[in-house]
Amino acid sequence: MNVEPLSFMEAIVRRVQLNEQDKELLKQEADWGKTIAPQMADIFYDYLGRDEEMNAILNAKEGRIHRLRETFIQWFYEMFTGIDGWGKAYADCRWKIGLVHVRTGIGPQHVVPAMAVVVTAVGQQLRRDHKPEVLSDALSKICMIDLAFIEQAYSEALLQETGWTQALFQRLIAKGAAQV
Amino acid sequence: MAINVTKLEMTLQQFVANASNVQGAALVSPDGLTLASSLPGGMDEERVAAMSAAMLSLGERIGRELNRGDIARILVEGEQGYGILTSCTEEAVFLILADHNAKLGVINLEIKNVIGELRKQLLGLAQPVGL
Repeated sequence: MNVEPLSFMEAIVRRVQLNEQDKELLKQEADWGKTIAPQMADIFYDYLGRDEEMNAILNAKEGRIHRLRETFIQWFYEMFTGIDGWGKAYADCRWKIGLVHVRTGIGPQHVVPAMAVVVTAVGQQLRRDHKPEVLSDALSKICMIDLAFIEQAYSEALLQETGWTQALFQRLIAKGAAQV
Repeated sequence: MAINVTKLEMTLQQFVANASNVQGAALVSPDGLTLASSLPGGMDEERVAAMSAAMLSLGERIGRELNRGDIARILVEGEQGYGILTSCTEEAVFLILADHNAKLGVINLEIKNVIGELRKQLLGLAQPVGL
């Protein structure tokens, strides 16, 4: 494995500028997050279910959609708790989620718009419940971190399968992109 | 020992000029960087190097997956000729391009001969690894 999950997360945390205030706020609102998680799962899977390709993936195996929904609820709650304060356990968990997405064929092109739907829905719920706007910002940052894990998992899977190094992969696609 | 790039380039140029039906040659790193090359005009050296390294890695991966042991050579045969990748050292892979009239037996002998020389220049007498 080229990527070490914790190091990767630390880099992304810096990039999205998730700070201690964000983390504290998220922890304070963890109960609220747990309450709205099933509702967010409904919105998320309703959105995905309307996409023909995604619907086929979600229902490819019996019970998959139910299991994914349960995973979503747990994932959503963990965005507030940070599991171990957004440390190694959180990074490992997000890395595994990324790999599950790769295995099930749910790519970034599916997850990115779906994540945007979640961010929007959370924002609306947050206003209805009179929660501070900064909570929305903090959640958006966490969502971006988790999204980065899913995208990185795809790159990692490609590198493992081809035996290419990260440097070769970047060189190859950079040269390829130059020809497009 | 420092690598004499000019000498490497000269060796490749001589190889391309003298070997039958050979149109180009390059020495590339596993990361897809060009170490030396003598390629036909209009061919992007950096792209050739990246493609060669990518093909090498995939070939090794396929070799492992299909239990083929160490891979000696990767050959691409097209209507216009051949692309052949052969191990040189752990840090260098040798690519040659030959036209469709090339006799593979002769080409393989030519490659064997020039690789001996390239190895000496790269690492003294480094052992070939992989590919």
